[in-house]
Amino acid sequence: MTDLQILNDYIRGEIGYQGELYPDLDLLEKQILDSFNVVQWAMFIQDRFGVQLEAEDLVRDNLCSFSRVIALIDVKRALGLTGQPQPN
Amino acid sequence: MGMLKKLLNPFKEFGFFAGPIYGLDRVFQRLSPHLRLYFYEMLAQPISEEPLLPSRLSGALEMREIRLGDPEIARMPARPDIKQSRFRQNAVCLGAFQKNRLIGYIWLCFHQYEEDEVRCTFVLPQGTPAVFDFDLYIFPEYRMGLGFVGLWNGANQWLVGRGIQVSFSRLTRFNLASRQAHLRLGAQCVGRVFVLQLWSVELMVATLSPYLHISFRKQDRMRLKLRPTFSSPENRVRPLVGVQAG
Repeated sequence: MTDLQILNDYIRGEIGYQGELYPDLDLLEKQILDSFNVVQWAMFIQDRFGVQLEAEDLVRDNLCSFSRVIALIDVKRALGLTGQPQPN
Repeated sequence: MGMLKKLLNPFKEFGFFAGPIYGLDRVFQRLSPHLRLYFYEMLAQPISEEPLLPSRLSGALEMREIRLGDPEIARMPARPDIKQSRFRQNAVCLGAFQKNRLIGYIWLCFHQYEEDEVRCTFVLPQGTPAVFDFDLYIFPEYRMGLGFVGLWNGANQWLVGRGIQVSFSRLTRFNLASRQAHLRLGAQCVGRVFVLQLWSVELMVATLSPYLHISFRKQDRMRLKLRPTFSSPENRVRPLVGVQAG
């Protein structure tokens, strides 16, 4: 399963959004995520991909779309800031 | 077609009860700035001892009281006279700071809260350790990040440390985002208040005692008695994914 599919499944399964999804869709602007579940989203990313997110990482620019999240994960992986990812 | 859609939008967004009230208020606002129809929901939110955030994230925020004279007060978007009146009624302003920068704040009143939008005083129940929270504000750059949950996480800890079990608030029924966020934190609606402002006259109808009030002067305020209606464990707030106790 690709990173994109994992993120897609979370939005479908946990958030319950059934509309169109694509990598650059702004999940915050479309109100698919709000000020509360954006933190849940970040916690899921951290646990599922085994990357360590700091408070400074939890900003709109990093979390607003699949492509931004994947870019953040890539940066964390490149920096070696990873932990043990949780299985499906 | 466009006009019909515009007329139906409030029904779609707020439902068949609140929708017409919203529409009527919009019409009133167009007719005169002295005509308003407010629809408030009174919420009671259990104060959770369980953290909403993992300690690594919550540790990045510092909570502290912002007192009268603090330079941070100037950054708050409310009118200066409103902020002054809040301190006069002994309200506490609790700020969340990230790297010494104020990211958001919440105001808290003990015993009662003097509403500044309408002539109403919300009286907290005796015998229940409770506060009234109002004007929760997160600076825009922190809204879609740690801001909201981080502020509530810190506020909960601050309140738990003072033995507080419930926080009441009043929300306009039409602020759907704020309403949703409060409900996610376990808040429940414990009453509704309707206020019709007609120039200097305010007619209030509430589902809580004293139910009906008419005010002709500023000093004549309705004292609305709040009471929590929940006590069951299912109202406890679920911690977020990845939060470990301790």
